[in-house]
Amino acid sequence: MDPNTQALVQTLAQGLLTGGIYALIGTGLSLIFGVMRVINFAHGDFLAVGMFIALFLFQRLHLDPYLSLLIAAPIGFGLGYLVQRFLLARLGDRLESSSMLATLGIGLILSNGLLLGFGAQPQSINVAYATKTFALGGIQISLPLLIAGLGTVLAIVLLNLFLYRTELGRAVRATAQNPLGAELQGVNTNWVQAVVFGLGVAFAVVAGVLLLPLLYAFPTVGENYTLKAFVVTVLGGLGNLPGAIAGGLILGIIESLGAYYLSNNYRDAYGLVVFLVVLLLRPEGLFGRTVKRV
Amino acid sequence: MKRTLLSLTALLLTGAAYAETINVGAITSLTGRFATFGKMQKAGFQVAIDEINAAGGVSGNKLALLLEDDASDTNKALAAAEKLLNQKVPLIIGSYSSGITKPLSQYMARQKVPLLVATAVDETITKPGNAYTFRVNNQSSVYSRSLLDLFKRMNDSKAGTIKTVAVLTSNDAFGKSVYTDITTLFTKAGYQVVSKDTYDQGLTDFRPILNRYKALSPDAVLIASYEQDAVAVAKQVKEVGLAPKVIAGIATGFALPNFLDGAGSAADNMLVAMVWNPDVTYPGAQNLYVRLKKALGGEEPSQHAAQSYAAMLAAAAAIKQGGTDPEKVREALTKININTAFGPVKFRDYGGYQNQNAVVGLVTQVQGGKFVTVAPATAAKGKLMMSKK
Repeated sequence: MDPNTQALVQTLAQGLLTGGIYALIGTGLSLIFGVMRVINFAHGDFLAVGMFIALFLFQRLHLDPYLSLLIAAPIGFGLGYLVQRFLLARLGDRLESSSMLATLGIGLILSNGLLLGFGAQPQSINVAYATKTFALGGIQISLPLLIAGLGTVLAIVLLNLFLYRTELGRAVRATAQNPLGAELQGVNTNWVQAVVFGLGVAFAVVAGVLLLPLLYAFPTVGENYTLKAFVVTVLGGLGNLPGAIAGGLILGIIESLGAYYLSNNYRDAYGLVVFLVVLLLRPEGLFGRTVKRV
Repeated sequence: MKRTLLSLTALLLTGAAYAETINVGAITSLTGRFATFGKMQKAGFQVAIDEINAAGGVSGNKLALLLEDDASDTNKALAAAEKLLNQKVPLIIGSYSSGITKPLSQYMARQKVPLLVATAVDETITKPGNAYTFRVNNQSSVYSRSLLDLFKRMNDSKAGTIKTVAVLTSNDAFGKSVYTDITTLFTKAGYQVVSKDTYDQGLTDFRPILNRYKALSPDAVLIASYEQDAVAVAKQVKEVGLAPKVIAGIATGFALPNFLDGAGSAADNMLVAMVWNPDVTYPGAQNLYVRLKKALGGEEPSQHAAQSYAAMLAAAAAIKQGGTDPEKVREALTKININTAFGPVKFRDYGGYQNQNAVVGLVTQVQGGKFVTVAPATAAKGKLMMSKK
């Protein structure tokens, strides 16, 4: 391969893997929106919480960030579950209109809590494999980036198994389609919504943990990712899980190619331009359908 | 009653040696995205103040630090300056970053109170027109020049021929200043700049741009970044398999001991241009290093701490000459000539700069997890190691 093609293929591959992380974040957001019609503006802050859990466990107990997933993911689930149970559920009928402010507030509390606990300075961990790479047909791929990509695939497969193979998953889908109907069929929708919020937050936390070996943690790291998750979800169609995955991959590739060919400075703009174009031409998202709700 | 007496005697005992207290204003970023640099500055100020007071203060008066936090924000820095001026400080030292310091210097000139710049390197800060700004630190082009000198030496000695360079800097006052230095100075010196790029603060994925550099394969890649991005770039350079003959960082983020911890083996053999490293030969440098480290609670100090230390010594010298009247202090600053563990401090007008201190630029190389000075030849403490490729 000549150097130019090689660099391009490498950029594409890395963009795809970065997109995988966006997909993971977007899936959580999309899941929550699909079931509850709540746009979780604290999504990126939950990701930051994930990063700091892994950071804390690494600094204090020298726990490998990937092992800390076993602790971080349940914490994330519990956190989301409690937030839904004790905060969002109390909004009752005003949920759809008030959730924006409620989740923004939660996000502020989370990021400021992290600031209080860990300080403002960015912190990174230095694990032996942080810069490990391996060559794949002449292109170099970073090991943590690949693990993050594979982790995304695994998480999404597990989510699908859960949604389509379990009784609770069926209840989740029923609640998403028609909460009132599901309630009439004996589904405890309050509980289902808490589980869904927990799952969505757990996804964000897992994404944060997977990002830590690649990046650095600071309390407001989430802001950028809330925006990315939002773009990803709208690209794919709000509440559409396969759409969120595709949206994530598309965003990752667009950003990488834009930065490679055009300019590095407008990196975030490329995604937003595509976002606007999609909103103009297909308001329901690239893969979305307009579904009437009862 | 007994307690009041006790505290009164304690007060008398400590205060006895001093006639009165002179406040020196300082502004830095104790919180926000420059917080790490702010911590370094604070340590530098404190070590200098302790040293001055231990030696009897300034003309028998005790020196005290009024430190304000600008939260890495220009408006807060200006508000902090106003607050300090209301407390009648004879001068202010600050702030950390170029983007904040430039507007601050203009405000201070209008108020006719001297500003001593300890760390910010933007070229334009000491361009003529502002008689109230004095800079202890070098201007940003010093870094590019010391790299140029090293490259020339390498080319002459055939250690590795450098002909093409790629430039990547952050998109702010500091980054842009370095960007202009490199693109003009290197082009003038006959090097080919094959790619020049900037990036916005907060960018975490440098891979596309580094992939492009890989395809262009320049001999040297020169990078200017603040704290966290320096670590991210260094890691991703290794990740994408970019292996030029030389990768050099321009001070700032790369000059932080945090960078060594964060980047780990990805930093090996990287060159970092800076102006102070514990291994410099100035008298008292080792001792300063020890004291700064103690002030930082055991953390390794960076050049920013040493610069701030020198700035405080310069402030004390000026107050000794000029008292507490800002105008007299300004005059005293123009005549200062002191030797510190950071190097000599003397503000001069030269080479198109006004009230600028001339500092010797160093090039260090990361060897065995430490910065080792490799250039200029007179200051070198170690040999330049070329990558094994």
